[in-house]
Amino acid sequence: MFWVRKLHKWASVIVGIQLLLWLISGLYFNLMDHDKAQGLTHLNDTHAEVAIETHRLLEPGTILAAFKPSVSLSIITLLDKPYYLLTHEKGLYNNLNNDYSLVDAYDGNQVIIDTTMAQQLAKASYSGEATISSTLLLTPPLDDFPKQHNDTWQINFADNIGTSVYIEAQSGRLVGHSDEHTRLADIFFMLHFMDYTCEGSFNNIPIMIFAFITLWLTFSGLIWVIDMLKRNRYRPKLKRR
Amino acid sequence: MVFMHIDYIHGDSLISNPQTKINPDKLQYSLAKLLQTYPEAEQINVGKLMQQDVYRFSIPAINTTIITTQQVMLNAQTGERLSPLNQTAAIALAQYYYLGNESITNVSLLNDNPPFELSARHLPAWRINFDHFSAPSLYISADSGLVVGKRHAFWRLFDWMFRFHVMDYGDAEEIDNQLLFWIALFSTLATVSGLILVYFRVLRRTKNKRKPMLSKRKHSGVA
Repeated sequence: MFWVRKLHKWASVIVGIQLLLWLISGLYFNLMDHDKAQGLTHLNDTHAEVAIETHRLLEPGTILAAFKPSVSLSIITLLDKPYYLLTHEKGLYNNLNNDYSLVDAYDGNQVIIDTTMAQQLAKASYSGEATISSTLLLTPPLDDFPKQHNDTWQINFADNIGTSVYIEAQSGRLVGHSDEHTRLADIFFMLHFMDYTCEGSFNNIPIMIFAFITLWLTFSGLIWVIDMLKRNRYRPKLKRR
Repeated sequence: MVFMHIDYIHGDSLISNPQTKINPDKLQYSLAKLLQTYPEAEQINVGKLMQQDVYRFSIPAINTTIITTQQVMLNAQTGERLSPLNQTAAIALAQYYYLGNESITNVSLLNDNPPFELSARHLPAWRINFDHFSAPSLYISADSGLVVGKRHAFWRLFDWMFRFHVMDYGDAEEIDNQLLFWIALFSTLATVSGLILVYFRVLRRTKNKRKPMLSKRKHSGVA
């Protein structure tokens, strides 16, 4: 029992503060508003049906031949207009490295999303009333979306929760919204994942070490409790004497 | 959970990500013809089915009473309809995507009641199991021929771990359950009391050892 107590004491010294942070952040996740934490506060996800004038669509074969080789061509709509999205290099997921060209489906011209178009796309996804305060083209890593690997427009709105809308620069895809609520949740995720280098992942060496020590803290505590139970140490004080 | 890399858990290392390019000369079946035959086609895509160039799109489908959409796949050269895929095609696709070289142990077509590890929106799908100790399953959509799921024993184990982690013993894996709240609250109180104990038993005591002359404990009772 001496070593069990010793182990318990020193394990608690090492992981105590982090254990408290794990529990507090866990309680926060338990109680938080999940929609707000996901950046849905000002997200407009109602999409009006876009009427595509199909007879005006250019043939995909012509478009594909005019650009560098593609693995996929999709008809997408942005701001009520059809586009061909050509994927030249495809990542396993959307947020991983991808190489796209965006082509006007009616005239075949390549479209580069500029500040104006990024702002229009952001407004289309935004249900609030505020105006745009600034627009920036960011290269990864992004503070708000650490897993996004592609260049992204950041459109900031002047509302009271500091909404930022992220639009992928090559494809026009909405990466997501972030605001005060998502940033607060991100802080708690950082604490919970011990992600103090902000990689957006819980697979880091410090958390492995701390998890291992915490396991021993739990084991030694459990053995201690069993030992105390065996020695009848859990009776109320009054009865013992 | 923290020791197993999340990308491995997701099965990212089970499949390849082929970058086979579309051959524009092979698109002899035009989009105009496609839209004539399927005027209601939406979400039209030109892509690859292994080495073949194909069209994929969705059309509205009436499923008993609810209106849903159905995925259709056409050969882009001839316009021949390729979906739904048969077992032979599904096996060929699974072997094309699967990075290991183990043999296939079981193939089944899922039309309804998907297992927990596959979302119902991916149905109908072929489930192809491989002979490996981690029991990998690839799910290939019968309508699009795309990999819609990649699961293995480590994902299934992780999934159970997550249920224990958030203490949701129902089927929903919800983080905002009452049980977790009360347990976490009591654990927080226990941890705070533990930290107070650490302060008095470890930190204060070492301070006392270093400065024995100033220690209150040694002098108390003397006077």
